[in-house]
Amino acid sequence: MSSLYERIGGQGAVDAAVDIFYRKVLADERISDYFDGVDMEEQINKQKGFLTMAFGGPNEYTGKSMRDGHAHLVERGLNDSHVDAVIENLGATLQELGVAAADIQEVADIANSVRDDVLSR
Amino acid sequence: MAYIVFDDDRIDIEPGQTVLSALLDQGHYIPHSCRSGICQTCLMQATDGEVPAAAQAGLKNTLVSQGYFLACCCKPETPLHVITAPDKNIRHAVNVISHDLLNAHVLRLRLERPDNFDYHPGQFLTVWKEDTVGRSYSLASVPGIDNYLELHIRRMPNGKVSNWLHDDIDVDDVLHVQAATGNCFYTPDAPEQKMILAGTGTGLSPIIGIVRDALQQQHRGEIHLVHGAMKTDDLYLHQTLQDLDQRHNQFFYHTNVLHADEDHPLYDAMSLDQKLLHIGEDLTDCRIFLCGDPNLVNSLKKTMFMAGASMKNIYADPFIAAYD
Repeated sequence: MSSLYERIGGQGAVDAAVDIFYRKVLADERISDYFDGVDMEEQINKQKGFLTMAFGGPNEYTGKSMRDGHAHLVERGLNDSHVDAVIENLGATLQELGVAAADIQEVADIANSVRDDVLSR
Repeated sequence: MAYIVFDDDRIDIEPGQTVLSALLDQGHYIPHSCRSGICQTCLMQATDGEVPAAAQAGLKNTLVSQGYFLACCCKPETPLHVITAPDKNIRHAVNVISHDLLNAHVLRLRLERPDNFDYHPGQFLTVWKEDTVGRSYSLASVPGIDNYLELHIRRMPNGKVSNWLHDDIDVDDVLHVQAATGNCFYTPDAPEQKMILAGTGTGLSPIIGIVRDALQQQHRGEIHLVHGAMKTDDLYLHQTLQDLDQRHNQFFYHTNVLHADEDHPLYDAMSLDQKLLHIGEDLTDCRIFLCGDPNLVNSLKKTMFMAGASMKNIYADPFIAAYD
């Protein structure tokens, strides 16, 4: 049986998803403030890394890098509701790309697995 | 066996080994982070040899065309010469060929083009006043059409280099310039694609170079150039661009003047972002170049992205003012 990453479409799917996902995140008033003033191209590269991980692809994400990368946002009030919003946008992106519901759930589970690291818990 | 050449060292590459790991094994320090082709920290440039396609996946095509690659994803099968960053340290002494004003504040400087001085229109070069005082200016000239280098220099309040170039430099003087760099230029990989280029002030300099380059390379899709200015007096090369618009069916010249009287022929009720969205209609497969005032460039970048442009198709060159 093929892996989640293969079923979704691998690197090609990451490239297709990243613009749609980032656009949704920037348009979402619950979380958009956290992206004010960031370099958009750098952010797109980070989003690609995140999507690759969430799609079950090859990645070097570690609990430590997740913690370090979000610590300054936790100080600014980042909490569960914001992580929920990100995962919701991720699901909506995949739905738009025609990914099967079961696979979307699997992606959401992977994204959820780093929640405690993101929120420094 | 494949090998790389780095800093005059020949380093053998085991089958399946990456350039990054081979260099690190030999004790060379190469900045790196994710090792999986995502963070782009280990960007290097090949000066000779064939770069495997996998090492350039996800890079902007302006980087690909200059031989940039990600060392962590590069498993060469044939000899490859690599460097960490483009050699930007070579300075050329060049003669000033012409020195004239395009409007009250903008100087057009044409410089002799040194042998082997390769560049893409829209890239920028640095002009050095003294050893430690240099400023970057975008190239409006096109290799293959122009045998000189053309820069547009706006007089900056208290600008150390711009005032010097305006007031103290003249034809036949010698200037010191450094190799061209930057990723904001045309690549001929999608000749049917619609292009929208917006420049404010001397942001016109790179985009006029990019437009002339695209036309020279037979770009067939629509090309829209928008020159944004505070006042009508701030526009320049207006007639040249109107002539270009007349001569090429696929090229359209637009102006966007922020403060003009309502009865002036160049009065425009639209703001620059409205104008670009109006011209763009569907931005899904549109290539966009934004040059000039950094706040405006960054905000236009976001506007265009949110309206449907793909980030990989947006080339931005914010003109950051120097503080020293």
